[in-house]
Amino acid sequence: MQTDKVTSFQFLVLVIFFTIGSSILYIPSTLTIQVKQDAGVAAIIGVLLGLLVVWFFTTISLWFPKLTYTEVIEKIFGKFLGKLISLLFVFMAILYASALIAQSSIFLNIQMYPKTPIAYISLLLVLIVIFAVRLGIQTIARSAEIFVFPYFLLFIFLVVTISPQIEIENIEPFFQTNISSLLNSSFKLTAVSTINSIVLFMIFPAFVNDLKKSRKSFYIGTLIGGAVIVTVTMLCIFVLGPHTTLRQIYPSYTLAKVINIGDFITRIEAFMATLWTIALFFKVVLYFYAGLLGLSKILNIKEYRVLTFPVGSIVLGTSIILYPNILYQNTFNEKIAIALTIIVGLLCPLLATIVFLLRKKKLKKDPDYANSN
Amino acid sequence: MIKTLAILFVTAIVIMIDVPSMWKNKQKKELIVYSVFLFIGVTFLILLAIGVKIPSPVDIYFKTLRNH
Repeated sequence: MQTDKVTSFQFLVLVIFFTIGSSILYIPSTLTIQVKQDAGVAAIIGVLLGLLVVWFFTTISLWFPKLTYTEVIEKIFGKFLGKLISLLFVFMAILYASALIAQSSIFLNIQMYPKTPIAYISLLLVLIVIFAVRLGIQTIARSAEIFVFPYFLLFIFLVVTISPQIEIENIEPFFQTNISSLLNSSFKLTAVSTINSIVLFMIFPAFVNDLKKSRKSFYIGTLIGGAVIVTVTMLCIFVLGPHTTLRQIYPSYTLAKVINIGDFITRIEAFMATLWTIALFFKVVLYFYAGLLGLSKILNIKEYRVLTFPVGSIVLGTSIILYPNILYQNTFNEKIAIALTIIVGLLCPLLATIVFLLRKKKLKKDPDYANSN
Repeated sequence: MIKTLAILFVTAIVIMIDVPSMWKNKQKKELIVYSVFLFIGVTFLILLAIGVKIPSPVDIYFKTLRNH
């Protein structure tokens, strides 16, 4: 049984990286397609919705502060149904891990290594992820702690160097979209960056040091990560304009391409790609870790580490077959992933709440129940 | 063929890393779960390596749900 714990600052950093994750690459164009120049507003609404979701999640998980999410589900629903729902959760985590591996290897393949077969890039990524997860959550958290400073230095560098090219006229006419499409697109952001953070509940109550501080850092992390996404979306619209942004697959990468410091420092987008690579790496690692930990809890295995290589090979295979072309990727991100996220991330916790309220008397006698709440 | 051999070679190394400690501690359940998952994963990779076309999970959506 692993006992290493994560401090509240390390948890904050993990939440930030998880929130930024893949959203920073895709969200600007996803939002702009629906609401054109009002994408910034949609992003802000999405982040605020995210705070609500975090409040809901933390309330559920604090009922049993010593258990991970799958164990809580098993406590509430009973053995058989709980394991079934946990299995769905594990399926989601593993599927998203492979989807993100596939997305980042397609990104690297298109933009940087055009002659390398995608399978080999995926193999390298999966190997790093397996290595990280084998070393345990504390190593992951510490490396995130180190990476966050260069990350934000780079991000501030990006914002400062791109700011001379801002054209305010690009967001005019302001606020012309109808409310329903605005809410629809902001929900997409919430789904991708916050509702998926249900996988963090494999770490949050059980493996953190200070519960109260960590709960606060969950909110702050969501806000900081959201602020990064909002900034990037706004910059894309200000600099590239809404029509160029919605035609890009990787709008923020295109944004980094137009950085120009006195006609001397130009085309530094490969350097800037560090931003997305780091965030994507931590998001994949967290998905993979949560999936493995959940799987080991379902199968009653003491050590999740033995599963890293076998499940890693399944992740590698899935990531190779998942996206034969970009149409599959768009369909997966826009339709399937959103539906799966709603089922696993919203419907199951809601059901858990209802069942918990019905069985409250019995569950309160449980030795793992929180006395302080 | 060479890809298949490479996959089997890597699998052998992985088994040599993972199995001895489980064997020593007599963790029977872990060993069974480990073998099942490794078998699924390696079969999957070998099928891909010899060029079998496995449909993407997204195809389920394309074939069944899209027309509604």
